[in-house]
Amino acid sequence: MSAGGGGGGAHAAIPQNNLIAFGVVGGLVFIYAAYFLVQIAGPYMSFLGALGAICGIVWGASAVRRVANYGLGTGVPSIGMLAIGIGIIATIFGLAVGGIIGPILAVIFASLIGLVVGFLGNKVLNMGIPIMVQSTTEIAAAGAITIVGLSTSMAGTFMFFDEVVNGLTVPGVATTVMEPGYIAVIFIMGALAILHPYNANLGPDEKQDRTLACAFEKGGIAMIITGIVATVTPLASGTVTIVVGVVIWYVAFSEYYKRVKRDAYMISGAGLLPSKEELE
Amino acid sequence: MIDIVGILADNILTIVLITLGGILISLGVHFVPVGGAPAAMAQATGVGTGTVQLAAGAGLTGLVTAGFMMNVTDNMGLIIASGTIGAMIMISVTMLVGQMMYVYGVGCPPASAKVKYDPITKDRQDLYVSQGTEGHGVPTASYISGIIGGGLGGLGGSMIYYALLSIDNGLPEAKFIGIASIFAVGLFFVNAVIPSYNIGGTIEGFHDPKFKRFPNAVLASFIATFLAAIMGVVAIGGM
Amino acid sequence: MEPLTGMGVLALMGAAATIAGASEDLESDVGSQSNPNSQVQLAPQMMYPHRIYNKAISGEPPSNALICAIGGTVATVLMVTGAAAILALIVGSFVAMLVHGTYSVTPYIGRSASQKRFKQPIYLDIIRSHTPVIMGFAFITTFCILVISYLMISALGHPFPLPLLAFIWGIAIGAIGSSTGDVHYGAEREFQNFEFGSGLNAANSGNIVRKAESGIRNGIDNSWFCAKFGGPATGLAFGMVVFLSGWITVVFDPSISDTLGWEAIIAGVVIVLILIAFNRKIEVDARKRYGPYKVDDEEVGA
Repeated sequence: MSAGGGGGGAHAAIPQNNLIAFGVVGGLVFIYAAYFLVQIAGPYMSFLGALGAICGIVWGASAVRRVANYGLGTGVPSIGMLAIGIGIIATIFGLAVGGIIGPILAVIFASLIGLVVGFLGNKVLNMGIPIMVQSTTEIAAAGAITIVGLSTSMAGTFMFFDEVVNGLTVPGVATTVMEPGYIAVIFIMGALAILHPYNANLGPDEKQDRTLACAFEKGGIAMIITGIVATVTPLASGTVTIVVGVVIWYVAFSEYYKRVKRDAYMISGAGLLPSKEELE
Repeated sequence: MIDIVGILADNILTIVLITLGGILISLGVHFVPVGGAPAAMAQATGVGTGTVQLAAGAGLTGLVTAGFMMNVTDNMGLIIASGTIGAMIMISVTMLVGQMMYVYGVGCPPASAKVKYDPITKDRQDLYVSQGTEGHGVPTASYISGIIGGGLGGLGGSMIYYALLSIDNGLPEAKFIGIASIFAVGLFFVNAVIPSYNIGGTIEGFHDPKFKRFPNAVLASFIATFLAAIMGVVAIGGM
Repeated sequence: MEPLTGMGVLALMGAAATIAGASEDLESDVGSQSNPNSQVQLAPQMMYPHRIYNKAISGEPPSNALICAIGGTVATVLMVTGAAAILALIVGSFVAMLVHGTYSVTPYIGRSASQKRFKQPIYLDIIRSHTPVIMGFAFITTFCILVISYLMISALGHPFPLPLLAFIWGIAIGAIGSSTGDVHYGAEREFQNFEFGSGLNAANSGNIVRKAESGIRNGIDNSWFCAKFGGPATGLAFGMVVFLSGWITVVFDPSISDTLGWEAIIAGVVIVLILIAFNRKIEVDARKRYGPYKVDDEEVGA
C-alpha cells in the first residue's frame, strides 16, 4: 500500500487521552463483567467480552490514525500487523500466568513490548516519528485487549487452563480457542479492525469521527464471527453475541454512511466524470 | 501458579533458538528484493509488493511445510530444512512469475538502478533502466538474494515453531500446536515489520546500499524477540 | 498413505490453487487493491477524477487471510456440529464473502469522501455493479483455499487446525497475487495510454487511463484485460507453490524414513536451482530482444 499522510499531527475532535481511557477502562470492565456475569447469570452474558474488544478496536484504530498520519514508509497495514503480533504474544503469556489478573497482565506486557519496539524504532532504526513510542505502546495494548475480549467472548472465560468446578471440567481459552485454531481468526479480525479504518479513510479530508465509526462497524463484524464460534463452546452463548453484533454493525454502518454523505464532494447514482470547469 | 524460574532454567536452549529464529527472520527480510508500490508500476527494481507481505508469505509457507515435517519426524535438521526449502520454493516461484509479468506483460527487461553492473552476472544494468524509473524487474542478483532471504525467513520461522513444540510440559503435541503456531506467526510479523521500517519499505537485495543497515534491525529484533521468547516459553512450559 | 492417493490429492490441491490464484488476482483488479491502487488514489489529486473502485481494505495478504480465516472458522464450527465437510466449506466461504463485501464498500466510500478537495465523486452504480463481482471472486478464492487446507489436513495429515492453515494460505496467496498479477494491472492496464515496453515514468504518476473502449473505464474493464495474462499467471504461481511444496514430501515420504526426508529436501533444492536457471534465461532473452534504452555514453565518447 502507498504510504499515507502528509506529515504532522492529525486533527482530532476527540482527544486521544479520552480514547485511551475508553479503550483501557471500557475494555477491561467489559471483559471482567463478561467473566463474572457468565458465572453468575449464565453463558449468554459472554457477549460483553466482544464489547470490550470493540473498545480496544476503536482505541487502536485511533492510535493507528495518529501515527500513520506521519507516513511510516511502509503503509498503514504494517503497524497493525506489528501491534497484533505483539498483542498475541503478550496475551498468551498474560493469560497463561495471570489467572484472574490475566487480562491486566496481557495489557501490561503488550504495552511493555510495544514500548520497547517503539523505542527501538526511533533510537535504533532512526524512524524519527515523535509519537512512535506512545503509539506502538497504545496499539499493542489495544491489540491485546481486542484479542482477550474476543477470546473471552468465544470461550466464556479468560482462564487459560481447564478448571474443575464442582466436579465438572470447565474448558479454558487454551482448549476452546487456541487448540481448534480459532485464535487465527481472532488474530486477523483484530488486526484488520484496527488497521482498516484509517486505511479505508486515507486522504487529505479524512475526519476522526468517520474513521472511528468505521472502527465500530468492523468491531461489529468481529463480534458476529465471534458469536458464530461461541455457539459451539460450552461456556459461551452465541445467539446474543450475534444479535448484538448485527445491531452494532447496522447502527455503525449507518453512522459511517451518514458521515460519508456529509464529507463527500458528491454522491451520484450514476454519472460522468466531473467536467473541466468543475475541476478548476 | 506457574514456576516461572524453573521453566526458564529448563528451557534456556529453547529461548536461544527462538531468539536466533527471530534474528534470522529479521536478517532474511533485508535480502528480499521488494520495490513496494512503485515496483507494481515497474518504477522500481524488485517485486511489486510490501516487504512484510512477501516475507510473511514465504516464511509462513515454510511454516506449513515444517509443520507437516514435524508431524512425521523428530529430526530437528530435517524440520528446519523443510521449512527453509518450502519458503525458498514459494519465493522463487513468485519472483519467477513476477519476472514474466515484467518481461511479457509490461515489456521491459529486468534492470537495477542501484548498481552499474549486476554483482553476480556482471551484466550492465544502467542502460536497461527505462526513463523516469528506478529500475524494474528482478535481475539475477536480486533473484538469488530473494531466495536467500526467503530461505532465512523459513529457517527462522520453523526454528521458532520447532523450539516451542519441543518444550516438555507433559502434554501431547496436538494440545499446543495451535498455540505454538500462532505464537510463531505473531513473532514472524513482529520480526518482519522491524526490518521493513529499517529499510524504509523497499530494497533491491544484498547489493543495495540500504542492506548495510541490517545490524540495526538485527539488534532491535534480538531485543524484542528475546522478551517474547521468555514469555512464550513460560506460557507453553506452564501448560 | 499410498503414494498414488497422495499424488491424486496433490493434483486436486494444485488445481484448486490455480483457480484460487486467478480469482484472487481478478478480485483485486476489479476492486483495485494493493500497490497499483496507489495510482488510483493519486489520480484525483493530479486532476484526474475517475470511476474506478478504490478497495483499500489493506494489503492483499491481510485481507485474503481474513476471508480465508473466517471461512475456515465458520466451516470448523459447522463440522463440529456434524455438518458434512463440503456443506461446511461452502457456508464458510459464503460468510467470508459477505464480510468481504462490507470490507470492500467502506474503503471505496471512505477514501472517495476523504478526497473532497480533489472533487472525486462517489458513484453508487459502481458500488452496485462492482461489489457483487468482488464478492463472487472472493467466494471462489475462499472456497478453493478451504479445499486445499481441508485436503491437507484430512488426506495428507497436516497437524495445523483448519482456520490457522487457511489463514496462512490466505497470507501466501495475497503475497503472490500482489507480487505477480498486480504488476499487469499496475504497470500496463492503468497506463495503456503510454508506449508499451517501459516502466512508468515517474512524471506520469497518477495519469491513469479513465476512458474505456466504450464509455468511462471502471474496474470490471480492468479485470477483463487482466484476465488475459495477469490472472492466469497468478493462478500458475500459486498452483506451482502449493503443488511443488507438497510434491517433494509426497514423492519422498519422510514418514517412511529420515533418509527419504533428506531426499525430499534435495529435490526441493533442485527445483529452486531449475527456477534460478529459468529466471536467468528469461532475463537474458529479454535483454537481447528488447535491447538497452540508452546508448553507452562511454563507448560513444571513446
